[in-house]
Amino acid sequence: MITLYRPGHTWLHRSPAGPKSLGILVVVLAVSLLPTNWWTAGIAAAVTVPGYLASGLGIRELGRQVISIRWIITITLVGQLIFLDIESAVANTSRMSAAVLLAALLVLTTQITDLLDAFERALRPLGRLGLDPARAALMLAVAINTVPVLARLAGTVREAQQARSARSSLFTFVVPFLVVALKHADELGDALTARGIR
Amino acid sequence: MISNEMRHDTNAPPILVENLTARLGDTLALNDVSLRLDSARIAVIGSNGSGKSTFARLLGGIARPTAGSIRVHDVDTVKESVALRRLVSIVFSNPDAQIVMPTVAEDVAFSLRGSGATKVEIAERVTAALAAFKLTDLADRSAHELSGGQKQLLALCGALIRRPALLIADEPTAYLDARNSAAVAGHLLHPEAGHQLVLVTHDLELAARCDTALLFDEGRVVAQGGPAEVIEAYRASLRR
Repeated sequence: MITLYRPGHTWLHRSPAGPKSLGILVVVLAVSLLPTNWWTAGIAAAVTVPGYLASGLGIRELGRQVISIRWIITITLVGQLIFLDIESAVANTSRMSAAVLLAALLVLTTQITDLLDAFERALRPLGRLGLDPARAALMLAVAINTVPVLARLAGTVREAQQARSARSSLFTFVVPFLVVALKHADELGDALTARGIR
Repeated sequence: MISNEMRHDTNAPPILVENLTARLGDTLALNDVSLRLDSARIAVIGSNGSGKSTFARLLGGIARPTAGSIRVHDVDTVKESVALRRLVSIVFSNPDAQIVMPTVAEDVAFSLRGSGATKVEIAERVTAALAAFKLTDLADRSAHELSGGQKQLLALCGALIRRPALLIADEPTAYLDARNSAAVAGHLLHPEAGHQLVLVTHDLELAARCDTALLFDEGRVVAQGGPAEVIEAYRASLRR
């Protein structure tokens, strides 16, 4: 099961969550606004690779992250190739991949508690409009943490099907998966209430 | 054991249950239950579907009664839910659903969010709590990678770090092996625990270690008293 945060002592790990989030957001925006040509792919790589090296996570972790989003890269590239020329497809896929990998760099080098605090602080001005910053930050934390839980639940459903020799199909997977996911959501709601979160 | 400085008024009234009724759909889960519970450790036993877990959920303010009321340390579980949350912690049988944050230390610290404690205080309390539960070495591990027993210890640690006046544990050892059951029971039933405990369990040995016991059957409390006699009443009902 994945743990998003990778402990470390680099300057990227030590940087406060708020400014770091803002910095990464600016870089992601800059990469997104690059013109659509071959240079974009190179610049996207030139920004992403040093980021992983500076974080101490290295090329191996970058490779792991690329593998984990391989289907997003494939679908984006193939989809673009149907409608656009190869240069545009590669440029767009590169900047999208760089954006995802840089966003991953944020959660890989920042404890979720620090992200929660930064998110809560950033949303505080919206409190005047009736938004509850603590609740919005909690929603973010729960969403991040639910990814590995859902992956495990999906594995459990597949194992249960195999144990009963059930033929695997999208329908026989999706329905029980939805049921266990909703049950988990119910239990998580109870657990949050039990821990004093309303 | 996490030291508990009992921030709550120890002279406050005990758990008071008056004419409590709860319907789950067409099923009458609890039927006009009235109780006064002032023992430190209360075991709740009974067959599946007897109303034990519904009672625990109502006591913890997670579910609402159809009729009647519960007061925990003079706090109404329905009308004063914010105050109740400060008094009560709950541990469920499935520890997976209780883990909210990615790592062990972050999950324990999560229980103190919004408590008013400073970052330094939270860090100190988390360190002490992890040490008390022998989870220090796992502090930076993914909480979802722990074994079932470790997860339940983590859930219990997250519940007790809030220093509740009342801890409700709903079958906390249901999925655990003997070693982990013993570890969880040790923390739950610690003689110096500063909290009142309501323990819903099918483990009669665990129930026998409590100060008092309740036997539920078809939504009613059919026996209440010393654990030995209540357990014997339960065993007799199973032989019928």
